[in-house]
Amino acid sequence: MKTVEKVVNTRKRAGEESPGKIYSDKLKVRARREWRGVKDTFYDYTRWLYLLSVLGKFIMVPRNIKGFFRYRWMMSYLFVPHGMDKFTVGLRDEALRIAHTSFNFVIADVTQAIANCFRGDRRVGNDKAYSDKCVITDENSMVTFMMGFDKEKVHTILREVPTMFASNIFHQFNVMHYLDVAQLNGIPGDVCPMPEAEAGISIEDDFCVLGCCAVQNNTTCDGSLMGNGIIAKRLERQYGIPTFQLATPLRHKEPDVLEYAADQIKQAIEFVEKHTGEKWDWDRYFAAAKRVNFATKCRIAQLEINSTPYPQFFGAAFSLYNDTNYMGNSGRDPEFIKIDKKLLALAEQGYKAKRMYAKEYRHRAIVWGVQPQYVIDMLYWMVQCWGVMPLADMLSIINTDMIADEDTPANREQAYRDMAMLNMEMIMRNHTHGGYKVLLDDLWELCEKMNADLVMMWEHMSCKALTGMHGMFEEQARERGIHIMWVSHDLCDPRVFTRNAIRDQVNNYMRTVMREEPLDPSLEHIPDDEAY
Amino acid sequence: MKKLVKIPLILLGILLGFFVVTFTVYIFNLDMKMMTFIEPLLEKWYNSREHDQYL
Repeated sequence: MKTVEKVVNTRKRAGEESPGKIYSDKLKVRARREWRGVKDTFYDYTRWLYLLSVLGKFIMVPRNIKGFFRYRWMMSYLFVPHGMDKFTVGLRDEALRIAHTSFNFVIADVTQAIANCFRGDRRVGNDKAYSDKCVITDENSMVTFMMGFDKEKVHTILREVPTMFASNIFHQFNVMHYLDVAQLNGIPGDVCPMPEAEAGISIEDDFCVLGCCAVQNNTTCDGSLMGNGIIAKRLERQYGIPTFQLATPLRHKEPDVLEYAADQIKQAIEFVEKHTGEKWDWDRYFAAAKRVNFATKCRIAQLEINSTPYPQFFGAAFSLYNDTNYMGNSGRDPEFIKIDKKLLALAEQGYKAKRMYAKEYRHRAIVWGVQPQYVIDMLYWMVQCWGVMPLADMLSIINTDMIADEDTPANREQAYRDMAMLNMEMIMRNHTHGGYKVLLDDLWELCEKMNADLVMMWEHMSCKALTGMHGMFEEQARERGIHIMWVSHDLCDPRVFTRNAIRDQVNNYMRTVMREEPLDPSLEHIPDDEAY
Repeated sequence: MKKLVKIPLILLGILLGFFVVTFTVYIFNLDMKMMTFIEPLLEKWYNSREHDQYL
């Protein structure tokens, strides 16, 4: 089997040695916050104050208070600081600053998204003029088709992000109610709980209702298609919001699908123009395309640092930031450029200083499959408890090609193909669909590039896209001498797999197959199944 | 003159007081512990609401 050189941390960790003591079996939150030494604790404290100021500013707007009491999912946002604590477990120095810089920005972005939803919502803010310039899009949809519109005049509302996806990060039980609603209405329980919860939210009438039109995307799975149907039906028939179906080819590596996909993008843009009355602007598009390319360059640079013995930007914050920047932003907001630069500077600084975030790194892992790591602090736990360093995850391994960013007649035609390519290869589609080339070959190539000896394979119980490949993964990992550790879960339904049931699969693998003892035994079993 | 000395001292005292209170809340996670008491009440409120279910 392939082995990698163990990297040992010669520096003493600032503050407390183990974060194991911060967990409590009596509470649904941490017993206390981690002591990280004076400098890092003070930094973490100032970021906590910043988060409170973001939340405080939000709740001071009367319509936001109204929205808070109208929508059940808003309850999750009481626990934003708790969610942030999950993504900083055991972190010090640059990694702590990277996690805060990236995730604080995501939180501020989501807070703004909620404020926008409430402003236009017919039941809360009811700002009709604003709502008439809003376009609702899917949670799992690339917003490339909005890159050429003035974002001050046409507002892209990723309605499902604050309602379901982000709210679940802060409170692991919050979507169970919506899953029950969906299943009580006859939706089968064996589909992915993410789109099923979204369907439940729609059935329960717990989505904000706004916008002059909506664009839906055939996302990645049976659950998503089913959910979109239910949501579109309510949008169109009850609320009179016309909904465009952006049909995106799934076999995105086949060259003959590109023209069809580009035509779909054209149609989506025409649909938005028709309903908002605003015109597509090529200058604006190519400015956004430059920013997309910059984000891609930064992501590649971050992955290069992670391919060395001293990775810096890792864990759930890495994929969440990429998710927001690549999919939710798509070059439209220049603010991301500043954050990209700051994150890269921090990562380079940490790499030069050879910073490590555990006593030792024993294994270098690629995290593959449909991942639930947003809801739990799994990847940080793996580093601290077992010295398994997650170098990259499937959702962050997205487009690495540069798109056309100069305004020429030829590039205007190319732009539709670029937008189509980005849309086809978006986060949840680029590896789960497109055949074994993107799911298997890409993985082994990545293991080679990042010098990984282990694949942590998330096995999502309700995801049919990957289940059929189980045997092929086993066979090909064996041929290459790469350890493959299967970890089952059911995404955002903690009733199927609790946090400890998930972590125990890693514990068992590390003890029985790897024959290793934990770096930090106090973390092997954490009493946080009932925690938010 | 006395006033000029007093103002920075008062400001320092306010800042120090703010730091002591907020840092205590931060380090003992009192903010999140308080939310665990509020959450069940909110849940009751949301459960009591009528919903227009539509499929």
